[in-house]
Amino acid sequence: MILEATHINKYFKDPERHQVLHDVSLQLHDGELISVYGESGSGKSTLLYILSTLDTDFDGSLQTQGRDIKSLSSIELTNFRNEHIGFVYQFHYLLPEFNVLQNIMLPAMKLRDRTKEEIKADAMTLLEEIGMKDLAFRPSYKLSGGQQQRVAIARALINNPNLIVADEPTGNLDQKNTEMVFELLKDITENKGKTVVMATHNPKIYKNSHRAIEMIDGFVRL
Amino acid sequence: MSNTVFNRTNIFIALQYLLSRKKQSILATLGVMLGVTTFIVMINFMTGVNDFLDDAVFNGSPDITVGAKKDAQKHKKFETRISSLPDVTEIDQLLTEDENVQSFAHQVQSPAILISNTMQLPGGINGVFPEEEKHMVELERRLLDGKGFESLKDENSILLGVSLAKKLQVSVGDELKMILPNGKRTQLKVGGVFSFGITTIDNVRTYFSANTLQKLLGQEQTTTHIHIKLKDRNNIALKSKITSRHDDVVVEDWQDSNKTIVIGNKVRDILTWSVSFALLLVAGFGIYNILNITVIQKRKDIAVLKTMGYASGDIVFIFLVQSIIIGVLGAILGIALGYAISYGISVTPLDTSDFIIVDTYPINFTPVYYLMGFVFGVLTTILAGYFPSKKASKVDPVTIIRGA
Ligand SMILES: Nc1ncnc2c1ncn2[C@@H]1O[C@H](COP(=O)(O)OP(=O)(O)OP(=O)(O)O)[C@@H](O)[C@H]1O
Ligand SMILES: [Mg+2]
Repeated sequence: MILEATHINKYFKDPERHQVLHDVSLQLHDGELISVYGESGSGKSTLLYILSTLDTDFDGSLQTQGRDIKSLSSIELTNFRNEHIGFVYQFHYLLPEFNVLQNIMLPAMKLRDRTKEEIKADAMTLLEEIGMKDLAFRPSYKLSGGQQQRVAIARALINNPNLIVADEPTGNLDQKNTEMVFELLKDITENKGKTVVMATHNPKIYKNSHRAIEMIDGFVRL
Repeated sequence: MSNTVFNRTNIFIALQYLLSRKKQSILATLGVMLGVTTFIVMINFMTGVNDFLDDAVFNGSPDITVGAKKDAQKHKKFETRISSLPDVTEIDQLLTEDENVQSFAHQVQSPAILISNTMQLPGGINGVFPEEEKHMVELERRLLDGKGFESLKDENSILLGVSLAKKLQVSVGDELKMILPNGKRTQLKVGGVFSFGITTIDNVRTYFSANTLQKLLGQEQTTTHIHIKLKDRNNIALKSKITSRHDDVVVEDWQDSNKTIVIGNKVRDILTWSVSFALLLVAGFGIYNILNITVIQKRKDIAVLKTMGYASGDIVFIFLVQSIIIGVLGAILGIALGYAISYGISVTPLDTSDFIIVDTYPINFTPVYYLMGFVFGVLTTILAGYFPSKKASKVDPVTIIRGA
């Protein structure tokens, strides 16, 4: 098990105090592909931001590797995320000033656990795996949506994280690209032993995941 | 894990951002350059002129002048005798004892008409005692032609300011006639021509032997003025000390006698600093604006960088480095251009000026000003860049990414 959330309650104070997550408890295991689905506004994204340690303003506890996330300082959290968690968003958020290869390298250039040459080599390997090696030096904004999303997944993987959090990664993609991205994520869990947790509205995806969690008005349906 | 924000990755990202909006970056750099250039040129020029004037004035005229009080009642229309300074011995005594007095010299000044072959000019004659006067004025440095005070050993020798010599159309070795108020005519010879560089002196100043002048006037013991040089010219306590004991003398200090120049120097100083400050302020605002807009436009990118592991410190650094690069580049360019323009001014020949008499403008190339220009330029950009950078570092990734 790589992450355990227990009795998570989340409130927003704006416009008035209201609860968006109700007593959510969840365990994520190694090599698992978990989908979170449910109606719009049911709290999927909110849950993912908490699981990914970006949002620490909640009641309950989040444990990973025997450590309590809430006990970490903000800089420790930043470093923890950098090393252990990869992100994929509905909108890929590649940085347009950088080319494809540089975008993938950015998280590793911060971590610096390898030389720049090693990072470059790793990034090229990832590009090969997503079938985009020949586009390595193209500016990132000159890619199609599907291509950008695949690059974003490669970027999420560059630091070899244990957990990949993806918020509707296929939300903006057509059928073909959706399948391609889903296969890629599944492959990461099955062949690399990573854990992927993603929010999705696509039944094809959550039905084909290892585990599907439905959210209803902030509750996890048991 | 890289713990310091000063690393190649952050600098690389900063550069990438700078290069991705070349036009704005270049404009911002030019803005800083303009500010620094203006500062350098103005300060080089203004302090050059100021120093030049200070040197001319303080070397060419005494810090304190003691003269006889003009008695309006007794004043006749055609005065043939010149009025003597009373109490000379007592004042001498007082000056010898005063700690702040560097040196002093007696003068015999008389109105006179100078006549050359072609010209006739009313003016004044400064009779000096060379042994005293040489401690007051560094005439050697000012001499254009002929000899200095030592030529006054020849009792018919007169030294002329360059403008005066020009007006009289005489040069060293030429003959000159002098008519004193008592009607006495004397044949003189130009022994030297000097220039202090400012018209107020070079137009009227003459040096002549005081002993000879006393004899010609028939007033052998007369002294008309005492000139005093101070050790600290800002301490003019001596002035009131003299006036309190001798109420029949007039005491003028350097500020009285050189009011326009003193004020002119101040005006030039104020002008330099205010114009440079205003320009740097404008440049600073330019950078502030550009970075601020970038931070707003790039909020998503900043959020993504933060989720990737870039900490607030990294973000501050990434944005601050952009403005520092602009600042350093602009400052270096500004210094180079400032030097080039200053140099250009310093070698551009001048025709004539009503005020100062120079071949080219005096420019002060003191390196400290270049250092100052650099520091100001960079400081402005750091200040201008700091607030947008801080703002960038406060971007909350959850809010931004969720909001898309
Ligand atoms: N910053 C916020 N302030 C106040 N309320 C918020 C804020 N963010 C989200 N909410 C509310 O929290 C609830 C859950 O939102 P969340 O984004 O988690 O839903 P979701 O399941 O991801 O929806 P979708 O499928 O549309 O992405 C919603 O009712 C939403 O209005
Ligand atoms: Mg959502």
